[in-house]
Amino acid sequence: MRVALFIPCFVDQFCPQVATAMVTVLRRLKVDVYYPPEQTCCGQPAFNTGYWEEARALARRYCEVFADADAIVSPSGSCVAMVRNYYPELLNAGVAAPVPGASHRAAGTAATTPEWQRVCANTFEFSEFLVKKLGVTDVGARFPAKATYHDGCHALRELRLKEQPRQLLRRVRDLELVEMDKAETCCGFGGTFSVKFPIISCAMDDVKIASIQRTGAEYVVSADSSCLMQIDGYAKRRRLPIKTISLAEVLAAT
Amino acid sequence: MNPARSNILSRIRAALRTETPRPLAPTDALIWPPVGNAEPRFRAEFTAVRGELLDSAQQLREFLKAFPKIATDGSALVRQVAGDGTATSREADIGITGCDCLVAQTGSIIVSTRASGGRALSVLPPVHLVIARRDQIVPDLAAAFTLLRQRYDGHWPSALSLVTGPSRTADIEKVLVMGAHGPKRLALYFAD
Amino acid sequence: MTASARQFIRAATAKAANPGHRAILENNIATYDTAVALGKTRYASWENARSVAAQIKWNAVNHLGLYLEQFERAVVKNGGRVFWAETAEDARCYIVELAQQRGVHKVVKSKSMVSEEIDLNAAFAAASIESVETDLGEFICQLRGEPPYHIVTPIMHLTKTDVAALFHEKFGTPLTATAKELAGVAREQLRRVFLSADMGVTGANFLVADTGMVALSTNEGNGRLSVSLPRIHVVVAGIEKVIPRLEDLAVLWPVLAQVGTGQTVTSYNTLVGGPRRDGETDGPVEFHVVLLDNGRTRLLADVEQRDALHCIRCGACLNACPVYKNIGGHAYGTTYQGPIGSVITPHLRDACEWSHLSYASSLCGACTGVCPVRIDIHHHLLHNRRNAVQRRFDNPFQRLAFKAWFWAMQDATRYRVASKLARLAMRSGLALPFLKPWTQCRDLPVPPARSFRDWWRREGRDGPPGRPNSSGAARPAGAPYQQHK
Repeated sequence: MRVALFIPCFVDQFCPQVATAMVTVLRRLKVDVYYPPEQTCCGQPAFNTGYWEEARALARRYCEVFADADAIVSPSGSCVAMVRNYYPELLNAGVAAPVPGASHRAAGTAATTPEWQRVCANTFEFSEFLVKKLGVTDVGARFPAKATYHDGCHALRELRLKEQPRQLLRRVRDLELVEMDKAETCCGFGGTFSVKFPIISCAMDDVKIASIQRTGAEYVVSADSSCLMQIDGYAKRRRLPIKTISLAEVLAAT
Repeated sequence: MNPARSNILSRIRAALRTETPRPLAPTDALIWPPVGNAEPRFRAEFTAVRGELLDSAQQLREFLKAFPKIATDGSALVRQVAGDGTATSREADIGITGCDCLVAQTGSIIVSTRASGGRALSVLPPVHLVIARRDQIVPDLAAAFTLLRQRYDGHWPSALSLVTGPSRTADIEKVLVMGAHGPKRLALYFAD
Repeated sequence: MTASARQFIRAATAKAANPGHRAILENNIATYDTAVALGKTRYASWENARSVAAQIKWNAVNHLGLYLEQFERAVVKNGGRVFWAETAEDARCYIVELAQQRGVHKVVKSKSMVSEEIDLNAAFAAASIESVETDLGEFICQLRGEPPYHIVTPIMHLTKTDVAALFHEKFGTPLTATAKELAGVAREQLRRVFLSADMGVTGANFLVADTGMVALSTNEGNGRLSVSLPRIHVVVAGIEKVIPRLEDLAVLWPVLAQVGTGQTVTSYNTLVGGPRRDGETDGPVEFHVVLLDNGRTRLLADVEQRDALHCIRCGACLNACPVYKNIGGHAYGTTYQGPIGSVITPHLRDACEWSHLSYASSLCGACTGVCPVRIDIHHHLLHNRRNAVQRRFDNPFQRLAFKAWFWAMQDATRYRVASKLARLAMRSGLALPFLKPWTQCRDLPVPPARSFRDWWRREGRDGPPGRPNSSGAARPAGAPYQQHK
C-alpha cells in the first residue's frame, strides 16, 4: 500500500515535530510512507473565508498531487474534513457529500471524474488511519503522565472521530487518561475567526482551559495542532501549568 | 384582495421551480417506545407533570370543599359528579370541565370549546378540575388526532388545547415555578 | 466595516470579556442541557424523530404556495380573515389600523418573534395603544425597555436578584422575593390586563394547512388567555410556519418541546381555528391571520439555503453555540440571534450590512448537530461567506492578502520561499505588529528553524523505520511544547 503523507501547511511550518512523530509511529508499524513534495495547502483558509475560487483551484491541485497514493494520511482533522467533506461541493456542485447532518447540496450538472473522488475518499486523519484502516490500537507507546483529550470540532463532528483517539491513548503505557466535562466544546480557534474576533475566541479558550483545569491533568492532547496552539497560547499567557501535546507525539513516545 | 397576496404567491412559485433534494429519509424505527398499558402510563405521566389525581368520590368531595365559587361547563358528566356551578369563569375559584380525551404518552388532557364549556373556563380560574371516563384514554398523540378527526372533521370547535399539567414558568433563572398565568393546579377525577 | 459589524464587535467584545455574564448563561444552559439529556431518554430513536420532522418541514416549504392557499381557504371558511403582508411595514400598518378602526385601547401580546421583527410594539405606542407583553420573560424585558435575549428564554441573562430589584422598583415587592413570589406578582398584574384587553396578538408556532388552525405553544397559559378573553385575535406569522396536516403535530409538538426545554410537550399546545363559532359561549368575535413575507421568499429562492426556512424556532442552536454562550443575545443586534439568526439575517435584511454575523463563528458545527429539523446551519454560514465575497462585500485588504496567499500556495517552491520568509519575520520580531490580534490575549510560539519538508529532504526520507527521536523528530516525553516569545 502506497501511503502518502499529507502534512498541512500549518504543521509543516510551525509544528513539524507532530509530523515527524506521525512518521515515527507509522514506520514502527512497518508502513511504508512517502512525501509528495509538491503539496502545499488544502485550501481551507480560503474556503472558510469565502474565497471558493481559490479553494477550488487548490482542491484540484491536491487531487493531482496525491493521485498516485493508495492512502493519504494527515495529522489534522480539519484538513482531512476539508478534503473529504467539502471538496465534493467545491469540485462538483451536485454530488452529495457525506457531511453529517447535511440536508442537501444544490442540484447541478455533474462534470465528474471519479479520480478526484477516489483521492478524497482515501484521505484519512492519523488516528482514523491507525484504528480503522490498520486495525491497530496499541502502537507500542509509553507516556507517563495524566492527560485529558480535547475533541477538535472537525475530527469530532465532520469526521465522527470520538472513540478512535481514545482507543489509541488507552493503550499507551503509564498514561492516565481523564475526561474533561467540556471535551466537545470548541476551543475558539476556528481559523481566521481567532484573529477576526479575538476576544470571543479567547473567551471560548477560557472556558476550555477551565474545563481542563478541573481534571487536574498535566497534559491536554488533541489530534488538531491548531487547537493546541490556541489552548497553549492562552495557557502560557495566563501562566498556567497546562502542557499541550499532539496525539502523534504521545503515540511516538517510548 | 391586496396585491401582496399575488406578489407573494408568484414569488413563491418562481422560487420553487427548482426543488431541493429531500433530507435524510426516516427509517422504520419507532420514534418512541410503544406506550404499553395506557391507563397506568397516563397516571404516571399526569402525575409527573404535577397533575393531581382524585381517586375516589370522597377525595373529590374533600378537594372541592376548598373552592366555594365553582364554575362548570354544564355538561351531563360534570353535573352528575359536581352539580351546577353558579360562578362565572371570571369569579370562580375553580373551573370544572369535561374533556375530549386523555393522552397516555404525555399525560395530557385535550380540552376544546365543545367538550369543555368554551375557551376561558378551563384556563381562567386558578384551579382546573377535569371530569373524565377511563375509556377516554388514548395511547398517544397520533391516536388523539385520529379521535379528534373522527369527532370533528368538517365542524371543528374554534379552539382546542393539549393541556399537560398546570401552568408553569422557568423564565427566572430556570427555577421551575408552578402557576404562571393559567391554572396553578390541575386535577382529574375519573367518573367511572 | 459596516455600522452593524462595528456595533457587533463592540457589544460582543464587552460581553465576552464579562465573566459574570458568562457564568449566568452557563448556569442557565447547564440546567437546559440536563433537562434535554433526560428528555432524550424517552425517545427510542431521536435521530428518526429529527428525520421525520425534517421531512415534514421540507414538504411544507417546498410546496409552500399550495399549503398557504389551503390554509387561507380553511381560515376564511371558519370565519377568519387572512392578510398577506410583503413587508414589516405592511404588517404593522394592517394591525395598527385594524386596532384603531375597532377602538382598541389595550393589546395583550403572547410571545412572538415575528412581532419583534416587525417592531409592532413601537407602532402601537406611536398610535397611543397600550401593548403589554404577557410571557413572563418578555414582560420583564418590556419593563426594562430591552429586546429579548434569546428566542425562547427571553431573560436568560438575568438573575433572580435582577428581577427582584426590577419588581421592587415597579411594584414595590420586597427585594428578597423568591422566583415563585415574583411570578405571582406578574400573574396578578397581567391578569388585570388580560381581563381588560380589547385585542390579543399572538405569533404562531405552526399554521396547519388542512384545518386552517394556528398552533400556539406556551407553558404559562398566556397564549390561551390571549386568545380567549379579548374580542379580537390577531395572529402574525412568517409564511414559512405552515405545515401540511394536523397529524404532523404528533411529532412536531414533542420535538419542539424536547429541544426547546427538555419537556415531553409544552404545557399548553393550543389550536385556534377562527373566531367563536355559533353556539360557543366565549372567544373573540374576530380572527385575523397576518402572513408575513419580509424577505422569506428571497431565502426560499436560494436553493442552497432554502432549508433554513425549516426552522421551528426552538432555540437549540443558540444553546449549543459556544459563541452565543459567550456573547449572549443582545450583541447580535437583530431579532434572530445565534447560529440560525446569523444564517437568515443577510437574507431577511441587507446582506452587506449583516454578513459579518456569518463570520463570527468558529464553524464548530454544534448547531447542525442539535437542530431538530436537520438544517445544515454551519454549512450555510460558509455559503454566506462565499456569497459575501462574490458580491464583493469583503475588505479589499483581505481580498489582496488572499490573492497573494493563493499565488504562493499554487507552487511548492513559492510556498517554501514564502513560508520561510514568514517564519523569519516571526522569529525576528518583524511580524509582531501584524500578529497583534493574536498576541493581545495569547502567547505565540516561536516558529522552528526547520520545516517538516526540510527535515524530510535531509534525513526523513531515508530515516530508519520505527526509530523515535531521530534528530529533530519527536521530542522526549515531558518536554515543553515550544519555546515562546
